[in-house]
Amino acid sequence: MKPWFSWRRAAAVLRKECLDAFRDRRTLLMILLPPLFAGPLFLMLIFSLIATQSERAQTLTLAVQENAHAPALIAFLERQQVTLKPLPDDYEEQIRRGRIDVALIIPEDFPDNVATGRAASVQLVYDRSRDRAQVTIAQIEHLLVAYGREWGKMRLLLRGIAPEVAAPLRVQAVNLATPQQSGALLLSLIAFYALFATLTGGMAVALDASAGERERQSLQPLLITPAQPFEIVTGKWAAAALVNTLVVALTLAGFYLTLRFAPLPAVGVPFLFGLSEVGRFSIALLPIALLLPALHFYIGIRGRSVREAQAGTSVLLLLFALLPIAQMLLQQREPDWIAAVPVAGHYTLLTHALRGDALSNINIAWAYAVPLALLLLVLIAAAQRLNKEASL
Amino acid sequence: MIELTRLCKRFGKRGEICAVADVSFCAHSGQITGLLGPNGAGKTTLLRMLSTLLVPDKGHARVAGFDIVADRHQVRRHIGVLSDARGLYPRLSAVENIAYFGSLYGLTDRVLDKRIAFLLETLDMQALAKRKTEGFSQGERMKVAIARALIHDPPVILLDEPTNGLDVTSVRSLRTFLRTLRDQGKCLIFSSHVMSEVATLCDTIMVMNHGCLIAQGTANDFLNKTTQTSLEDAFFALLEDDEQKRSLV
Repeated sequence: MKPWFSWRRAAAVLRKECLDAFRDRRTLLMILLPPLFAGPLFLMLIFSLIATQSERAQTLTLAVQENAHAPALIAFLERQQVTLKPLPDDYEEQIRRGRIDVALIIPEDFPDNVATGRAASVQLVYDRSRDRAQVTIAQIEHLLVAYGREWGKMRLLLRGIAPEVAAPLRVQAVNLATPQQSGALLLSLIAFYALFATLTGGMAVALDASAGERERQSLQPLLITPAQPFEIVTGKWAAAALVNTLVVALTLAGFYLTLRFAPLPAVGVPFLFGLSEVGRFSIALLPIALLLPALHFYIGIRGRSVREAQAGTSVLLLLFALLPIAQMLLQQREPDWIAAVPVAGHYTLLTHALRGDALSNINIAWAYAVPLALLLLVLIAAAQRLNKEASL
Repeated sequence: MIELTRLCKRFGKRGEICAVADVSFCAHSGQITGLLGPNGAGKTTLLRMLSTLLVPDKGHARVAGFDIVADRHQVRRHIGVLSDARGLYPRLSAVENIAYFGSLYGLTDRVLDKRIAFLLETLDMQALAKRKTEGFSQGERMKVAIARALIHDPPVILLDEPTNGLDVTSVRSLRTFLRTLRDQGKCLIFSSHVMSEVATLCDTIMVMNHGCLIAQGTANDFLNKTTQTSLEDAFFALLEDDEQKRSLV
C-alpha cells in the first residue's frame, strides 16, 4: 500500500532545497544582510530627524528687518527667547531654499495704525511645504497670536472691560496619547518595514525552487521519481518559509539590538521595542511569513520563466505593500473585518503591538485562520499544477 | 518488458498535432530496443508517455507489468529515465545530485552509499564525485544524469538521445555500459536520430516517422528490405518510402 503522503520524501526535498539555498552564498547574503543593517540604518535616520526637529524647536530663529517699526513686539519676542536675525534683501529666495524658516515683515504704517487704534498688520513669510520648518512656523504663529491677545487684553482693561468678555471660550487641550503612542506614529514605519521583509524574504528561494527548477531543466527528472507533487511542493515551500522566517527574525533582531544598544540621539519620546514587542511582532508576522513563500512558489510554477515569475511576484508585492500604506493614509477607524484580511489585518496587529495595546484573541485567531487556510489551498493548487502536462 | 498497444497522443487546442499515432510494439528484457526517427518523429513524446509524464489519448502501455496510467506510481519505481530534460543542480556536487534522487526513491543510506560507489566506478567518475556540477562538461553532466537515473537499479531503462553532444570516447564507454546493463537482463529503450548509432548497439530497431511506426527489425533486415548497402541509405530509403505513401493518401 503506498501512503498518500510520505514525510520522508518531503523531508528529502526540504533538505536538498536548504542545502541548495545555503550553498548560494552570494544570494543568501543579499537576502540576509539588508534586514540586519537596513533596519538600524533607517532607525538612525528617523531619530536624527526627530532630534534636529526638536533642536530647531528649542532655538527659535526669526528673521526681522532692522530699525523695525514695532519695538514693543520685538521686545516681546526677545523676552520669549526668540533669536532674532537681520532680514536679508533676498529673503524670499532664502526661504525657498530653506536657509531661513520664517521671516517677519513689519510694514511702515504699523506705528500709525497702532496709534490710531486700528488693526495693525504684520506679514509672516514662510514656505509651508517644507517639513522641517513646520515646527518653527507653528511656534512663531502661536507667539504672535499670544502677543495680539495680550495687547487686546490691555486695551480692554484700559476701557474698564473684563478681558473675559471678549474671550468667552477657553480651550484647554488634554492630550490622551501616552508618550509610547506618539512614538508609535513613527514606529508604524518599523511595522511597515518588518512587514515588507516578511513579504519578500523567501522570494528568491521560492522562485529558484519553482521557475528556476524548470529553467534548469531539472523539473522533469524530478517528476518522474516516485515523489508525489504534493510532497515536492511541501518540501520546497518549507525551505522557502524557513528562509523567510529567518529573514524576519533577523529584521526584528536588528531593530531590537539597535534600539537597545545603539547610541541614538535622545528625543524625549520613549521608543519601546523590547522583548515583549519582539514577541508580539513575531506572533503577528508568522502566518504571513508562512503564506507568502507559498504564493511566490505558486507564481513561480505558473510562470514560463524566472523572469515571468518575477514580474508576477512584483505585482503581488505591490498589491500587498499598498495595503498598509492605504491604511496609514486612511485616518479613519478601521472596520472590524479588516482583521480577517491577510497583510492588512497583520499590519493592524503590528501597530497595536507598537502602541502597547494588548492584541485581541479574536484578531489573532483571524490573523492565523485565514492565511493558514489560504496556505493549504495554494499548496494544493501548486501540486495540481505540477501534475498537469503543462508544467513540463 | 514494455508493451505498447495502439498508443496515441495529440497536442494543440483541438488536438490538431498528432505526435504519436497508433504505435504498438514490444520491448523485451535483456534487449536494447532502438527508437529511430528524424527530429519530430514522436520519439520524445512516446518516451514521456512511458515515463508517466504524459497521459495517452488512446491505447495503453504496460511497463514492467504495470499500466502507465492506472499504476503510474508503480511504473515510476521500476523505470530509470534519462529524459530530454536532464538538468542538474549546479550548486550541489555530483554525489549530492545523485543521492537526492536516491532518497526520493526511498533508498536507505546503506544501499544508497553502495549504489553510488558502484555507479561512480562503473561510469568512471570518482574524480568528479565531490565537485559541484556547475562547470561540468557535457560528457560529465551526462554521466551524472545517467547515474541519477539508475540510482535505484531499475529493471526498465529509457534513454532519450543519450549520446547527444558526447565525444567519441564518451559514446564508446556509454555503449559498453549499456551492453552490461542489457546482459544483466534489463529492458532498455534507446532513442536516436542517427542510424549507425542505433545499429551498433540495438538488438531491435523501431523506425518512427510523423508519429507512426514505419518499420521494425534488425539493421540487416532493413538492408535486405531496402536493397541498400549502407545503413544510412537504408534509413533514408525507409523514410522516403513513407513520405511517398503519405503523399498518395
